[in-house]
Amino acid sequence: MLKELPQASAITNSYGFYSISAPAGSYTLLVSYSNYKTDTIPLHLNKDQTLSFSLAVQGAQMQQVVVTAVRSTNVSKPLMGVQKLSVNDIKDIPVFFGEKDILKTLQLLPGIQSGGDGNSGFYVRGGSVDQNLILLDEATVYNPSHLLGFFSTFNSDAIKDVTLYKGAMPAEYGGRLSSVLDVHMNDGNSKEYHVSGGLGLISSRLNVEGPIDKDKGSFIVSARRSYADLFLKLSKDTNTSSSSLYFYDLNAKANYKLGEKDHLYLSGYFGKDKLGFGNNFGMNYGNTTATFRWNHIFNSRLFSNTSLIYSKYNYNIDINSANNDVGITSYIKDYHLKQDFQYYAGSSNKVNFGLDFIDHTTSPGSISASQSSSFNSQTLQNKHVLESALYASHDLALSPKLNVNYGLRAGLFSVMGPGTFYSYNNAGNIVDSAVYSSNKIVKNYFNLEPRLSMSYKLTSASSVKLAYTRTTQNLHLLSNSTSSNPTDVWIPSSNNVKPEIADQVSAGYFRNFLGNRYEFSAETYYRNMQNQIDYKNGAQLIANENVESQLLSGKGRSYGIELYMKKNTGKLTGWISYTLSKTERQFDGVNSNNWYPANQDRTHNLSVVAIYKLSKKWTLSSDFVYYTGNAVTWPNGKYEINGQTSFQYTERNGYRMPAYNRLDLSATLQGKKTKHFESSWNFSLYNVLGRENPYSVSFQQDPNDVSKTQVVQYALFRWVPSVTYNFKF
Amino acid sequence: MNKILLILAGCIFIYSCEKTITPNLDAPTSQVVIQGNVTDAEGPYTVTINKSVGFYADNTFPAVSGAVVKISDDMGVTDSLTETSAGIYQTHTLQGQSGHTYTLSITSNAITYAASSTMPAAVPLDSVTLNHTSGSGNKRIEAIANFQDPAGVKNYYQFEEYINGQLFTKNFYIFDDRLSDGKYIANTLRTDSSWINKGDLLKVNMYCIDENVHTYFSQLIQSSGSGAFNTTASPANPASNISNGAFGYFSAHTVRSRTITIN
Repeated sequence: MLKELPQASAITNSYGFYSISAPAGSYTLLVSYSNYKTDTIPLHLNKDQTLSFSLAVQGAQMQQVVVTAVRSTNVSKPLMGVQKLSVNDIKDIPVFFGEKDILKTLQLLPGIQSGGDGNSGFYVRGGSVDQNLILLDEATVYNPSHLLGFFSTFNSDAIKDVTLYKGAMPAEYGGRLSSVLDVHMNDGNSKEYHVSGGLGLISSRLNVEGPIDKDKGSFIVSARRSYADLFLKLSKDTNTSSSSLYFYDLNAKANYKLGEKDHLYLSGYFGKDKLGFGNNFGMNYGNTTATFRWNHIFNSRLFSNTSLIYSKYNYNIDINSANNDVGITSYIKDYHLKQDFQYYAGSSNKVNFGLDFIDHTTSPGSISASQSSSFNSQTLQNKHVLESALYASHDLALSPKLNVNYGLRAGLFSVMGPGTFYSYNNAGNIVDSAVYSSNKIVKNYFNLEPRLSMSYKLTSASSVKLAYTRTTQNLHLLSNSTSSNPTDVWIPSSNNVKPEIADQVSAGYFRNFLGNRYEFSAETYYRNMQNQIDYKNGAQLIANENVESQLLSGKGRSYGIELYMKKNTGKLTGWISYTLSKTERQFDGVNSNNWYPANQDRTHNLSVVAIYKLSKKWTLSSDFVYYTGNAVTWPNGKYEINGQTSFQYTERNGYRMPAYNRLDLSATLQGKKTKHFESSWNFSLYNVLGRENPYSVSFQQDPNDVSKTQVVQYALFRWVPSVTYNFKF
Repeated sequence: MNKILLILAGCIFIYSCEKTITPNLDAPTSQVVIQGNVTDAEGPYTVTINKSVGFYADNTFPAVSGAVVKISDDMGVTDSLTETSAGIYQTHTLQGQSGHTYTLSITSNAITYAASSTMPAAVPLDSVTLNHTSGSGNKRIEAIANFQDPAGVKNYYQFEEYINGQLFTKNFYIFDDRLSDGKYIANTLRTDSSWINKGDLLKVNMYCIDENVHTYFSQLIQSSGSGAFNTTASPANPASNISNGAFGYFSAHTVRSRTITIN
């Protein structure tokens, strides 16, 4: 921004491009970014100029006084329901097993609910886990979890920042109902070489970065490997010692500037989880993504980005028992072209337009079995769909107080041949089938998604905002168990499965205090969802060619209020976030056709995060989480079938898991910092109070008394202490 | 660019735990539960009628006495069952045969419940073999039922184990040939800990059941209330083949058995 002309300021786009228009003259340019030192540059403007900057990390410096910006973006930007975190923001927050995890930290923010212990899935404003679009350098990550959900696929060393849009996403994003999580990888240091890493109890990390050609290009490679399974090797039991349980992942990125106007980026991710039990059972799964991007500056007003993206998620299972030798594989694979233009018509007048084209192929399941096995080899037919969209949006200041962003996304979803397409009656029996050849269109779905958000500044430090968004979703994750499994399958919309549609209206009040040292926001939303998916009683989702006959279609609605108070500067920083919400569903034939709470319906959700810089060496931090238990279906009666106790159910999701609460503490000791070496130790204790938060609740026969049944609650962890050593040279 | 990397020795202290809880559960409406079987073995065949109770009540299920119970076949035979003890009704003359449809009719407290089931063709049980496994420190013996699945037809199977004459009631075993049509099947009857021991006499019964009965047991297993893998996030009462909201099932099935001594 220009110090002398605060209204002429700009926020860079995600590639760092910005455009400021101002009358000729002398100015002071202030360049700032969360947790980075603010740079001040004298500027004499008499013609179009291009200026590039790189900012230094604030690092261990204590309470840098932020050169007060009169405008703070949270108040003035029309977009609402946006949460942005940089890895620097989260570095002091307590973590599970010493593994910094940006997905876990996001779940401490309002409107974003955790899936629970041992689950990296998250729920945004009542949406289900598969309604979040998770992007890593623009490539879709279909399963963002490692070790069945204990860790996320995002290695904090490789990540620059994440932005989460809660429903009101800009028109350039599409494909999911509930949210967009846009993760950007680090670009690497373009000035000098660095090696950094960390040693933890569960995993270790190594990160190498440096210039390719000084100031023209840089690269970064980050790797991570968990080694909890090494402890299994100590076991005397041969089945246990030959078991495996680990993950690794690799992030790599390079960028190169071809002159002033062109910038190329290449980034990729590869991750794998391996689980094995003796020689009887083995499973591996993982994501692969690759992104090639070309930024081009046509002129000082027009910026273009072209991306070619590849993304794949697959799993393999091997079962060896008795004479059964069975392998099962499944994948989803995308080729994606994205063309985006940004036109800066004036300092507060920006147009964004472009197109998206994605070719999805899913292989829902393929079974290969040996001749002697009890199973037949079988391959379910691949599903091929094309998802294309045109979009445009316009950012405009109608007056110094009133900012609007409006846009439209027009999406076409085409279900393609080849294949046999069935239609089913209500009982799930095939009533008709049609064979389509390759490249024939089976079904088209066309959807218009209008987006509107506006902000009105009440004072220089407060504003009200309003937004309406329609989103649609054409890929659906089939998951009918209490936790998400790596084997859950994505299916596209089809002649039977209709696109999910959501309409969300939200309103908010934003207020900054004491020169932006405190931020406060209150947002409220109402979301209506159509064509939601549930499963018939006893649905068979595995290796089922007619899986679409096992689904039910219904409605959903969700509403709530989110309160957020954040302290940005000082020795003590942190935030308090509270969400009061309700999420319900209605399906014909379920719960006597009445509305019932969704599993993830949690009335109260509270998070408190505090970070205290004790001295130059020590930083203490703590977080506290409380939320209402999930809505669950529990039996209230029992009867006997063939001598076994069976349970009687009355109401869908009529009961509640016990409430969850957890307090974590962490301390970071900064080692001596020299020009060539720095290090830190992190000590953390997860679940300080040792609360037995329920992971599952089981209704069963009492093993000690044949005349009784009992309810048993399982908790995963009580205290989890960890130590991590981080270094950089 | 050097420095020796520190090797961390740390102890992981995870404490996972279970405890019994007593959540407040509403009183359910007591439901009529009917279990009826007709087989290709010799009769008499039994129909049991009782009622469901609240979750925290004792496992004693009140018998429903005084019902009028009839089973008829598709050849014009109707057998009126006699209540031999409270809630247990037995046939007199009926003989089950593959390929025939049997209809159950019960009138109790002025409500009539009806069900029908068709007995599939029998599939021979060739042998029962054993699988010795060890895992998590304990050794287990599991029975394997070996049989040839007939190609080109849908087959649904149910198994029951009797250990020293006692019905094993920790698990329901069902199998279908959806992914195995025409294969020679070795179906392991899994147990979760060591129930079968050396010296035991083990009898395995294999039943060929019809599709509705298979669906019933498959839903019953998925709704078993354990909240673990394979059980659904939204359990519900299984779809019974009996009308008028009764719980339970009516199954016409074949029986083939093998008995072995565990060594």
